Amino acid sequence: MGETILELKNISKSFDGKKILDDLCLNIEKNEFVTLLGPSGCGKSTLLRIIGGFVKPDHGQVFFEGSDITSMPPEKRQVHTVFQKYSLFPHMNVADNVAFGLKLKKKNRDYISEKVRYAMRLVNMEGYEERMTTSLSGGQQQRIAIARAIVNEPKMLLLDEPLGALDLKLRHEMQKELMRIKHEVGITFVYVTHDQEEALTMSDRIVVMNQGIIQQMGTSKSIYDEPQNAFVADFIGDSNIINGIMIKDRLVLIHGVEVECVDEGFDPNEPVDVVIRPEDLVIVGKDNGFTNGIVTNLIYKGAYYDISVAAGDYEWSVQSNVPAAVNSEVGLFIEPENIQIMKKPKSSDEEVIDKLG
Amino acid sequence: MDKILGKRSALAGPYVIWAVGFTVIPLLVIIKYALFDRSGAFTLSNILAIFDPVHLRALVFSLEIALGCTAICIILAYPLVLAISRLRFARSGFMLVILILPMWMNFILKLLAWQMILSSNGVLNMIISALGITGFDISNTPLSIMIGVIYEYFPYMVLPVFDAVVAIDADVIEAARDLGAKKSTVFWKIIFPLSLPGLMSGITMVFVPSMTSFVTADILGGGKLQLVGNIIEQEFIQSMNWNLGSGLSVALMIFILISMTFTVNRNEREEEEAW
Repeated sequence: MGETILELKNISKSFDGKKILDDLCLNIEKNEFVTLLGPSGCGKSTLLRIIGGFVKPDHGQVFFEGSDITSMPPEKRQVHTVFQKYSLFPHMNVADNVAFGLKLKKKNRDYISEKVRYAMRLVNMEGYEERMTTSLSGGQQQRIAIARAIVNEPKMLLLDEPLGALDLKLRHEMQKELMRIKHEVGITFVYVTHDQEEALTMSDRIVVMNQGIIQQMGTSKSIYDEPQNAFVADFIGDSNIINGIMIKDRLVLIHGVEVECVDEGFDPNEPVDVVIRPEDLVIVGKDNGFTNGIVTNLIYKGAYYDISVAAGDYEWSVQSNVPAAVNSEVGLFIEPENIQIMKKPKSSDEEVIDKLG
Repeated sequence: MDKILGKRSALAGPYVIWAVGFTVIPLLVIIKYALFDRSGAFTLSNILAIFDPVHLRALVFSLEIALGCTAICIILAYPLVLAISRLRFARSGFMLVILILPMWMNFILKLLAWQMILSSNGVLNMIISALGITGFDISNTPLSIMIGVIYEYFPYMVLPVFDAVVAIDADVIEAARDLGAKKSTVFWKIIFPLSLPGLMSGITMVFVPSMTSFVTADILGGGKLQLVGNIIEQEFIQSMNWNLGSGLSVALMIFILISMTFTVNRNEREEEEAW
């Protein structure tokens, strides 16, 4: 465990009587790349704005390097933000945008031009200094926005869905760029996104949020492989989430079929959520799996086939390297260790899943 | 494409007829009057008459009034705009309606009301003498003319500035604060420069009418203080010297065009820089 740079203590915030953040606690470590991940309205952007100083929490405190900054205005915080809409100053050229913070600090001219040159090189935008920001593409504008924040050497950089407005290819490119920049400047990144793939790619640690509370925290791998509840499982990657009954340790009832699994510690006959990743399901011959079904849909996705298999009133989502003929009857097989069993979440979460589904 | 454009420009037809009939032709008539004397001989003396000491004094006085009024309108407009641009839409709309409300009343009526307030035995002096202060009388002074002018033209400053300020992205302002700008710095480095196009249209709409609002000067200046507009009016109505009146109008127009070229050029440059 590293040194804590930011500590959020029991943060609550409501807007117009609607609770956005509910008694939330979070510690962020120095040099960490933390991603706040969740659907829109989960409170992740509000949390970022509280860290940036633009929103004051109703309850709770924010500590930065040990001192309480809850009431400190944004201009005094050693934290800078990269906004989704870039928010460059339209009346200034690129260099003046990047130099804005340093000029306010009344640094001398040589220092400023040296720093600006470094920042422009860092984001691969050398030669654009004299351009007006409005003549740049979205990706270029976002690079300038990053340079404009980083040039001030903040201890922490907040990024509010910075790649949300870019197209897919550019987004992938910028993800790599961001990781390189993060590596080079060695400061803490707090990144907000609703894109789970982006979160999995870049983060040291992912904080999955929903309805103003943290659903799960952990590395990309632990979040993906071991989701703690059905919300996380559904939100991170595609999942088959089925109602099941835990008959006893290592045996779960799915759609009337007893299936072997590796989970223990549930009450006998406890209703549970069963989570199965589409890539873990294997299509086998009829009667060779735990259930049979009819192939209803086949989509070629490049790296794999996306196959829908209807069994009873449930439609399984399967990812497979080999195609299966539509309308054919097949069996579905699963290795016991690829079955995730979860306790039924609180009722409010179930509502959310229904909405998402 | 050309066909569509051709049809579209035909839509401007009614206005073109209006503009030719009531702007271009009268303007040509005035220029014709200005360039000839009563006997019909060509002369520049009507235009150059602006340099006559009496006329020049009226021009300078008009300029002082107009600059003063414009400056005060700007100083009053920004705090108001900053305040109402932060209100929620419904409430800022309400504030704007209150601001615009006086524009729906007759200009002369408003001036007569101001005359009642500002005259020697008017409401203002009654209140002031009731407070035991004597010797304070602003009736028929440049100040009372300015009050009338500002009252009339203030909305023309506020509205374009408001439009420009509201158009500034809230994120841009937050970005400035995020980078270490205090609220006052945000105003001078971000809000003010980005509102310049609006400010320039505001200045155009306040400055020019302030220079020539002779009715205001007549009613609130007691007929003693003469704006250049009053001189022109007198040449037309009292002296019946249309040639001199037109000459002074043309001189004033040239003067205004020169000062506006300066502002508009600046405006365009700002916009180029901004966009």
